[in-house]
Amino acid sequence: MSPEEDHSDDTALAGEYVLHLLDDAERAAFEQRMAVEPALRDLVRDWDEQFSLMTQDIAPVTPPAAVKARLQNSLFSDNTAPRSRWWGWLMGGVAAAGIGIGAILLVPNLIPDAGPDPTYTASIAAEDGSLIVAARFIAETNTLQVSRQTGNALPGRVLELWLIADGADAPVSLGVLPDDLEARIKVPSALATQMAKAVLAISDEPVGGSPTGAPTGAVLAVGSVADA
Amino acid sequence: MTEKSDIESMILQVGLGDRAAFSALYDATSAKLFGVCLRVLNNRAEAEDALQNVFVKVWQKASLYSANGYSPMTWLITLARNTAIDKLRTRRDGHVDIDDVHDLSDGAPTPEAEAVASSERAQLNRCLQELEAQKSEAVRRAYLDGDSYQDLAVRYDVPLNTMRTWLRRSLLKLRECLSR
Repeated sequence: MSPEEDHSDDTALAGEYVLHLLDDAERAAFEQRMAVEPALRDLVRDWDEQFSLMTQDIAPVTPPAAVKARLQNSLFSDNTAPRSRWWGWLMGGVAAAGIGIGAILLVPNLIPDAGPDPTYTASIAAEDGSLIVAARFIAETNTLQVSRQTGNALPGRVLELWLIADGADAPVSLGVLPDDLEARIKVPSALATQMAKAVLAISDEPVGGSPTGAPTGAVLAVGSVADA
Repeated sequence: MTEKSDIESMILQVGLGDRAAFSALYDATSAKLFGVCLRVLNNRAEAEDALQNVFVKVWQKASLYSANGYSPMTWLITLARNTAIDKLRTRRDGHVDIDDVHDLSDGAPTPEAEAVASSERAQLNRCLQELEAQKSEAVRRAYLDGDSYQDLAVRYDVPLNTMRTWLRRSLLKLRECLSR
């Protein structure tokens, strides 16, 4: 076999790729091909499977515990508050709905001004912008003013608003949003004191609201409460 | 001993963002992967860094795992070996004194330790043995020591192009033997 024919052989090329023997330009060119050629990916996988057998002789060595601690800290540095239960609920729902946590954007001028200045505001938003609800909390009166900017409940369903206090285990319902775009919700004083640093979320629920007292449908939109 | 299928289901759970599964996967596999990083890097501090990078990649890429067709341990070992080789290359580019680094290798496991040869491993060994000794050693050195064509050409005292031709032909012979 001539070197030219040799060079054209993808089997050898994939082996060189796996062994990290290609130079930068060859490697980049190979990866570009691999992105569109499944057969090339199969060759690479076959070599990886074969060569990884060489590591069977390598004895396990327990790494220092500090490595795991550093790793978890670098990946999950937000896990300081004991909010795992509702956070799991929130993230699971958000992932299932294919949306992310809305930006913590203040949109105070979206609500036509009426009455006293709010103490806190929040924008409860779907990441794709399909549902946006602006919220203003007036501490003097324990009133939450909500203004639905974009989006509707699904046919035969309702939108339910939830408060997740900082460090809380579970969301607490603030009620079902009315069909009206604007609404005022009287917040029980026990919950009103939890408003600072809370997260507001909206879930998809059957008519009448969640029958269980906990969210049952997809979490559609989320927003953090911030000082006005 | 953790079953292979357990590792697979842990990876799939990690792909869904399950932190408990991630922690369990780390506990089940980090010693093996740390061994691999140590074998390649011969340096404890660098191997610890590499191991951390490996598991960051596991967290980020686990959701893609089910589509790639890799067996679970191969996927993890490949991530570990590639991460360690990249780190090794970075070190070499930075001209760290390799002799100093090798002095720190006392804690590394011996290559012969716990050699439990599977039938696949036996087949790979047999096929490597069908190659000339230097050529199978070159393949091993590239995989486990991150040797480049330049390193190998110097080691075996042949021109770079000759080294490349040797190695490519060896790979094709290996492939042919493995498919028998």
